[in-house]
Amino acid sequence: MVNIGKSVVIKGELSGSEDLTIEGQVEGRIELKQNVLTIGPNGRIKAEIFAKAIVVQGEVHGNITASERADIRDNGSVDGDLSAPRIAIADGAHFRGSIDMQRAGVKPTVEHKGPEGKSSETKPSETRPSEVKASEMKASEHRAVDVKPAAPPQSLGTAPASVSQTTISPPVR
Amino acid sequence: MAELFNWSGRRGEDAAAGSASSPGASEALTTSKVFPRFIAALAPRPAPVLVDLGPVIGANISYFGEHLACKLYVEDLFAELEALHRRGAANTASTALVSRLRHADESIDGILCWDLFDFLDRPTGRAVAGRLFRMLKPGGAVHGMFGTTAIELKHYTRFVVEGAGSLRQRPYPATKVKRTVLLTGEINKMFEGLKVAESVLLKTSTRETLFRK
Repeated sequence: MVNIGKSVVIKGELSGSEDLTIEGQVEGRIELKQNVLTIGPNGRIKAEIFAKAIVVQGEVHGNITASERADIRDNGSVDGDLSAPRIAIADGAHFRGSIDMQRAGVKPTVEHKGPEGKSSETKPSETRPSEVKASEMKASEHRAVDVKPAAPPQSLGTAPASVSQTTISPPVR
Repeated sequence: MAELFNWSGRRGEDAAAGSASSPGASEALTTSKVFPRFIAALAPRPAPVLVDLGPVIGANISYFGEHLACKLYVEDLFAELEALHRRGAANTASTALVSRLRHADESIDGILCWDLFDFLDRPTGRAVAGRLFRMLKPGGAVHGMFGTTAIELKHYTRFVVEGAGSLRQRPYPATKVKRTVLLTGEINKMFEGLKVAESVLLKTSTRETLFRK
């Protein structure tokens, strides 16, 4: 598990093979094709994103492609096109762009827990990182996440807030 | 625990904002006679392209995915309009909204246009309607809802599709504006070039219209 703290700014290409939580700013491209990407409440992303699953609690400007699932929480904001076989968008989330529902023979159905419901499917608290010192974080990122061009990490990692929400998730046909 | 408090606090703020900004606004379930025909008009089309001019609704995405397997564009012109109001730039709505709709001419199969024109002055309404007409493919459909009572609007509405003929209306705060009430003839003229396939006045005093190109 890797966490990018809220004072960290990355410009370039970011890829890796571990689940990643971003609380800082990333501009460019993010590729975590086998892992879960969580954009925390403080995360500000201007990038093309490719991940196995993505949870958005912050802001994303750019297209998102998830091979399994995309989940926009009620504080989440996405301006861009969304492509995933399963899409969950909470009431109150902001979204502008296109949603492609033609892929992989998906026939979504509604799993709706009402406006007061709490999602139990994706738990951002699961992505809570332990605190990482800047010097340690660099080593950690080397192991798990490639950042091109390299951007020096500047801050301690921070834990993402867990936001319970209404979740509507279309299952696979 | 703190996370739980954050969540509760935010919901509390929302509830306070909602009650302050839109007193009397509450959820309602509308039985739609025209919406099933809109879906039926698009269903035979392979992978239709749909534009929703309102806010994103998770349940609707699921519904359209299931019934139409479509590509859906969420434009949320209400958010654009609200931002203009807050900047004191509502007089630029015509340009802002039309330029927001960048879809190629004749590229869209269906358009959901629920309540939007209630919030637009007539020149802006005409400009937006003209853009929608150009976006629509031949044979395409527009499902419109238009208020018929001249009241001050204090909230926008999220329309949640609960079934072929059921739309749940969930209000959320808006900058106060006086509703633009369009007569049936005005609506038809605004969408000149489209045929009125069905037009129904609901018990809620909302006119529901299905246009076809």
